[in-house]
Amino acid sequence: MQRKSLSAFTFAAGLAATALAPSAASAAEGKLVLYTSQPNTDAQQTIDAFKAKYPKVDVSFVRDGTPRIMAKLKAEFEAGAPQADVLLIADSVTMEGLKKDDRLLAHDKADVAAYPAGVHDPKKMWFATKLITTGIVYNTKAGMKPTSWTDLTKAEAKNQLAMPSPLNSGAALIHTITLTGNLKEGWSFYEKLKENGTLAAGANGDILRQVATGEKLYGMIVDFMPIREKAKGAPVEFVFPSEGVSAVSEPVAILKSTKNPEAAKAFIDFLLSKDGQELALKQGYVAAHPDVALPAGYPARSAIKLMSFDAAKALADEAAARKRFSSIFE
Amino acid sequence: MTLAIDRNGKREPAIAAPLLPRLRPPDGLGLPALVIAVALLLGGLPFFRLILAAFAPGWQFAPEAAFAEMASRSAVNATWHTLETACLSALGALVVGGIVALTLGVTDVRGKRPLAFAFVFSMMIAPQVAALAFLSLLAPNSPILSLIGLAPVPGTPNPLLGRGGIILVMALHHAPLVAITLWTGLRSIPQSLIEAAQMEGASNATITARIVIPVLRPQIVAAGLIAFVAGVGNFGIPALLGLPVNYLTLPTLIYRRLSSFGPSSLGETAALAVLVGVVAALGIIAGTLVASRQRGKVEIERPLEPYWLLGSARPFVAGGLWLLLALKLGLPLIALLSEALTPALGVALSWQTLTFDKFTEVLLRQAVTMRAFRNSLLFAGAAALILAFLAIAFAYALERRLGKLRRPVELMIELPYALPGVVLAIACILIFLKPLPLIGVSIYGTPFIILFAYLARFLPLALKAPVAAMAQIEAHHEEAAKLDGANLWQMLRFIVAPILAPAAAVSALMVFLVAFNELTVSALLWSSGTETLGVVLFSLKEAGLAGEAAAVAISASTIILVAMLILDLLGRHLPQNILPWRL
Repeated sequence: MQRKSLSAFTFAAGLAATALAPSAASAAEGKLVLYTSQPNTDAQQTIDAFKAKYPKVDVSFVRDGTPRIMAKLKAEFEAGAPQADVLLIADSVTMEGLKKDDRLLAHDKADVAAYPAGVHDPKKMWFATKLITTGIVYNTKAGMKPTSWTDLTKAEAKNQLAMPSPLNSGAALIHTITLTGNLKEGWSFYEKLKENGTLAAGANGDILRQVATGEKLYGMIVDFMPIREKAKGAPVEFVFPSEGVSAVSEPVAILKSTKNPEAAKAFIDFLLSKDGQELALKQGYVAAHPDVALPAGYPARSAIKLMSFDAAKALADEAAARKRFSSIFE
Repeated sequence: MTLAIDRNGKREPAIAAPLLPRLRPPDGLGLPALVIAVALLLGGLPFFRLILAAFAPGWQFAPEAAFAEMASRSAVNATWHTLETACLSALGALVVGGIVALTLGVTDVRGKRPLAFAFVFSMMIAPQVAALAFLSLLAPNSPILSLIGLAPVPGTPNPLLGRGGIILVMALHHAPLVAITLWTGLRSIPQSLIEAAQMEGASNATITARIVIPVLRPQIVAAGLIAFVAGVGNFGIPALLGLPVNYLTLPTLIYRRLSSFGPSSLGETAALAVLVGVVAALGIIAGTLVASRQRGKVEIERPLEPYWLLGSARPFVAGGLWLLLALKLGLPLIALLSEALTPALGVALSWQTLTFDKFTEVLLRQAVTMRAFRNSLLFAGAAALILAFLAIAFAYALERRLGKLRRPVELMIELPYALPGVVLAIACILIFLKPLPLIGVSIYGTPFIILFAYLARFLPLALKAPVAAMAQIEAHHEEAAKLDGANLWQMLRFIVAPILAPAAAVSALMVFLVAFNELTVSALLWSSGTETLGVVLFSLKEAGLAGEAAAVAISASTIILVAMLILDLLGRHLPQNILPWRL
């Protein structure tokens, strides 16, 4: 069984390689280590698709929540031996921090002509790959159908709301900073949530599990998880609240310490290419590329209202926001 | 590292010298020195490094920050949570494990072998798998609960999340640990004691209450303490049942700090680690005190045989035990399986929805899960093999050569086993983060750091059986070899090793089974290419892939089951009483 699928895979990879060999002029090869916060399945699919084009590159990956990936990476910086070549994590704020510490390698030749200005880092040190918003998920058996963030402070949601902790998720950190900066209640919105019995712990996956299994009725969560699970039959519904949603761009970047810049650049080129962006669509994400269609289950691009977000300010406020959040919820 | 060994090797004989001549001529100094050096490396070094990081960061004695950290609200809460879950779950484990051990040990209930096998198997599946299984069993969408019409309404929190659930699952999970300890004790009760009482006309209940239980008391205390220490150090159960509701024990608090804030928080997490060490050490010291009171070998011609004939109650007692196993092992596993077989979270399992997608995804499509299976096999296998050899040398040295140094050496080896895995992992990061002095190579981020941690953690487990076996070997074999002119190494190789080999082999297999499912140590030590099964399981669940996590859990449990069945078959050729489930 295993041998059969293996040979089938080699065959497919070989086929893809012969078909695409002329275009892959840089002939990247060797080992590439990816640190990512993508769910395992998506990370594996991304790597498989990349390897179909660059069969000589041997990609392995480490997956964890963005804060943990960063903790691991910082430990490795300290030991003087960063293991990762490429980072594909939740948010650009973290990337800005790495850029400031002079850890990133610019990829000047990256082709970003198709993207509107402001999507990627102007110095080409990191590149947005998708648009992941955070909104509200509810179990279809729930009585109230929330349409706005403030609905979550209502009595119907008492003890029924779960949200990911910024200590576990990069998207949750950006979400917290965005929400407190945009809602007129600011941090007192979170204090109200706490009074309403809101549980803040774990990562987005835990929120999905709790709402889908009915342990909680409402949750704050990244869009793709419930939209994807709903398509598979899970009893959940995702809402883009009326005030707008927060967003992260799942940026990708090359570490300056990479031992294989050629393969790393090829990986980024692949993610930014139309094919790479179509893969994001197939996986159920809103691709960063403006010409790629939206996956089923999403409103039109123009109908998704994004809350304003200042990356530089967020970088400065990051630690304070985490502390403030823990002091309310722990 | 080589430097450390040399330094220790040179220093130790000086300490050992005044004690040893009394026991042995000085030809045996090499072995004790080696054993002490290994004990210092695996047990002393990690512990010393932690204390240093907590109280004297940068070699400057500055304990204020550590004490402030220990007195912080979250640390005090977590300490309290650790103590109460460990104590209460140990009590629960004593009750459940005690009842099972006694019923299988002293009555003529039918089907002891499969019962004991299933009971021990329920402990061999990883704690986080057990937690995950119970979690799915009692979720509002539980297929099993809805089958009997007991499914809670949506919006009902899972009753297992939080304190009560942790205590319950931990008690059930550690109950077999208690039973195994008690079975060893039961074997040391002479049958003549029972026969004497029977001749006096004592009833079965009286014999059990007045003779067996009092004789077993040291083992009962020991079993309770083992369960307590296991509870203090358990990470998988509070991680899955406590973290989602912010109920933190010390190991989960440490993990959260370190994984969220990175190495900048190493100092404060080291302080918390010392705190866990103190809590666990209380358990070990109490255990050592109890154990030291029951020294002395009893020569037993005939060990205890089942004396309590159940008569017409026999099927009911067996039924009760099977029911307990169904609740403890069967239902949660079925819940887990059904989660792995449905297409999405919260979808009811039926013939229409049934799919093997999650299994094919994790077993065939994802390189990382397959690599994790391979890594866990490899790390656990390597640790088991190395420890089997080390255990033979240690068993001989501890029994025959170390004299008064035996207790301190044993205590030192026990430290990493008693420390929670997360804490040991921190110590290893601290030791190996920077390249090693002299050779300039860093083992951080390589498989060797995980292997080192496994060796340190599981050495005491590997020692148990060989030390017990060594204690029963008469010294005259060695004397005879010595008279024939064999030197120490020849004697170890040709006399001691063959006698201890079966015991060492079994210890190695126990190490393998425990290390295979291990999460707590590797959770902080893994890196690209060295992920272990436990890590993958935890990560899948956090990424919202609960079904995939369930599929990995089921597959890993199947491997354990197969390994145990093979062992059981081999067990026919092993000396008696070596596999814990073969009564």
